[in-house]
Amino acid sequence: MNASELQPVVQFLQGLVPFDTLAEDALLRCAKAVTVGYYSKASGYVTFNINTPKLYMVRSGAFEVRDPDGVLLDRVGEGEFFGFSTLLSGEKVVNKVAILEDSLVYHLPQTLFDKLRGESRDFDKFFTRAFAKRLRHEGRFKAKDLATTSRVSTLMSSTPIIIDAHASVNQAALLMRNSRVSSLLVTDNHKLVGILTDKDLRNRVLAVGLDGRIAVHQAMTVSPISISSNALIFEAMLLMSEHNIHHLPIIDQDKTLGMVTSTDILRGQGSQPLLLIGEIERQQDLASLINVSRQISLLLQNLISADARAEEIGRVLTSVTDALTRRLIVLNQQLLGEPPMAFCWLAFGSQGRQDQAACSDQDNGLLVAEEMDDFAKGYFDALTHAVCAGLDQCGYEFCPGNIMAQNPQWRMSLKQWQQVFEKWVITPEPKALLHASIFFDMRSVYGPQTLFDALQDKVLAQTRDNDIFLAGMTANSLVESPPLGFFRKFVLERDGSEVKGIDLKHKGNALINDIARVYALSAGIKEVNTAKRIRALMEANILNRKDALNLADAHEFIAHMRLSNQGYQHNQGLKVSNYLLPAHLSSLVRHQLRDAFKVVHEAQAGMKMKFMRSF
Amino acid sequence: MNTLLMKTQLNWRTLRCQHQLFKGYYQSLLPLLAMPLSEAPLMAMDLEMTGLNPQQDQILSIGLVPIERGEIPLARAEQKLVQIRGSVGQSATIHGILDNHLVQAVTIEEAMTWFINQTYGRVLVAHHAPLDCRFLQQDLLTIYHQAMVLPAIDTLMLEKHRLLREHSAIQEGSLRLGACRERYGLPIYSAHSALTDALACGELLLAQIAAMGDGTKLTVADVLYQSV
Repeated sequence: MNASELQPVVQFLQGLVPFDTLAEDALLRCAKAVTVGYYSKASGYVTFNINTPKLYMVRSGAFEVRDPDGVLLDRVGEGEFFGFSTLLSGEKVVNKVAILEDSLVYHLPQTLFDKLRGESRDFDKFFTRAFAKRLRHEGRFKAKDLATTSRVSTLMSSTPIIIDAHASVNQAALLMRNSRVSSLLVTDNHKLVGILTDKDLRNRVLAVGLDGRIAVHQAMTVSPISISSNALIFEAMLLMSEHNIHHLPIIDQDKTLGMVTSTDILRGQGSQPLLLIGEIERQQDLASLINVSRQISLLLQNLISADARAEEIGRVLTSVTDALTRRLIVLNQQLLGEPPMAFCWLAFGSQGRQDQAACSDQDNGLLVAEEMDDFAKGYFDALTHAVCAGLDQCGYEFCPGNIMAQNPQWRMSLKQWQQVFEKWVITPEPKALLHASIFFDMRSVYGPQTLFDALQDKVLAQTRDNDIFLAGMTANSLVESPPLGFFRKFVLERDGSEVKGIDLKHKGNALINDIARVYALSAGIKEVNTAKRIRALMEANILNRKDALNLADAHEFIAHMRLSNQGYQHNQGLKVSNYLLPAHLSSLVRHQLRDAFKVVHEAQAGMKMKFMRSF
Repeated sequence: MNTLLMKTQLNWRTLRCQHQLFKGYYQSLLPLLAMPLSEAPLMAMDLEMTGLNPQQDQILSIGLVPIERGEIPLARAEQKLVQIRGSVGQSATIHGILDNHLVQAVTIEEAMTWFINQTYGRVLVAHHAPLDCRFLQQDLLTIYHQAMVLPAIDTLMLEKHRLLREHSAIQEGSLRLGACRERYGLPIYSAHSALTDALACGELLLAQIAAMGDGTKLTVADVLYQSV
């Protein structure tokens, strides 16, 4: 018997994660070892034979897995499995599997299952749910630095600037001046023989006392190192640093296409955020700042399409917001004169956490050193209104909840801020807890660090080990829970209901932000960025290493999905939102998201155990 | 009642049979008649032929897929290509069996010996069984000079009876293997060979048994009776 004879079975396995990673002969062995079974809905539940444990691969139909207490664990449709926990643990089946629809199932016997796990690491990892490793490896592999993804051809000028090897150095210098370039490609008989750079003119002509009448080939750098237009910019950078050179001719099949210089690469998209921030800092008025801020959404799309890490995207976008805020403060101070006292511009919420994404609105406040007299009140009123209005015009809409520095309620002295936070901590009413998720993620964007530290240190001293406050925060964040997974084209909630899509922010990242915040406040950790909080918690041994890495990976993975979904929405001309429809997700991504949700769910349970035990 | 009827029929065939091999073949089926369908050893089969006339046309391939206790072990699913006189001709476009594939083919004599050995003690299952059986019977007659009737469960007839119980008329095409499978939510198999069609037929029978309900009580004889 050969593969083509059991084609329907082999084909099915080929499209099935993780069988898709197996070699063809292994797939054929699987197909031959399969027994086909039919499960009628009328018979209710799957009866397991303890003596012949097997992997149940659903070919058509649907099942539902519940634990002995009746808690829904999974709903399984075409192309999914059940029964592997018994195969892995060797223990008796305790879960109940209900037959939801008449189903055709391929059974894979334990012997072959074990053998495949031994033969293929990918196969084994998939089933042993070495979640941490899997998500980490795949997540990191997918997310690339900007410069690594783009190709040299994107930097190349449309027409190469070329001079004949027998032309004079004088002619070459004229061509360089007129074309505004620092280097030329030198050809002889249409074949590249060298390059001529500014440095060559200095070192090989002027410094040795020659004049401009010598031929180009006497001064040029002979047989330069070149690169193909198809190479990655990253590879060009490597080549340059390896040979300590700044110019690379681009050659495809003996044809000279152009030149790429180290300046081109610096100017390329790899350094786009830095350039944007530099540009912001150079602007002298609001109108030009608004103009520059139009580039932000393009920057976001570039970062998304380059598959940068979600955490980096958040940090990059937030640093642009910070720069804009600072520039608006400086420009308005120039108009209003020196401030009457020291102050800090506080960023809350996503800007505080450095995880801004598309269409963020403002969350900010003002911290001043002392009680304000009437003059100071007037000054800061004018300043904050100007800055908030400027931010709004740059695309950061006014906060619907009015948490903004231009609102006098959130413009206070150090002492007043300390009292406000103290009140929230001591009497954690629902409204205070709601505020907590925004205000406790605070960062100073402008102003003396010592002033900000005086506020933050006081706040952390009060939250640290404050059982009642932490229990309240925990209870508040447990209101939402992540979904269980997916079933066909739906999202499967923990109560068994099926919904069309999932809000990746409120049922994903926000839950992880909450967890990191509660732990950080309990331990007096100053970081506000979620990834940094988790790292700090791991280093302080408050979260164990495995849980911390899992949580950080889940955070990155969900954020990454959220951003790439927004990139997709943007490209399709749809409204950008946090809402993900699972219909088009690949089976691997569904598994990964499911794993990420599981990590969040377990972390929530851990947090409940730790902070709500006595309540 | 059905069991008794089928038993009488089989006994009569056994008596009339002169060839020892086929006497044994019939006898091996006798104890199966009273067995519950979900426990009986069955053999789903499918043939590919050069045409539809058993007198003129020839068998190209035979696919056999066993059913054991309501499950299909693919390890023992097998297919044989059969050598034919002349060229595959026009029908090659249907079966995808090219002349050079037939290089690995066995003679019809070898194929028939293999077929009898494989199906000994197993009740045959086929979709539109009479056609396949007539081809097999023709070749058995030529080779062994033994006229015989192969009893087989016919998934097409089972489906026809079921549909007629629910509807007064049957729409054209609704009894094809693919159409029957679709009604039970079984997957679509795009590839067609004797082996995959035998597998498709075996799976259909499992689904039909489940739909009949009370599969533990239903005997082989009951279903054989409904196959006529």
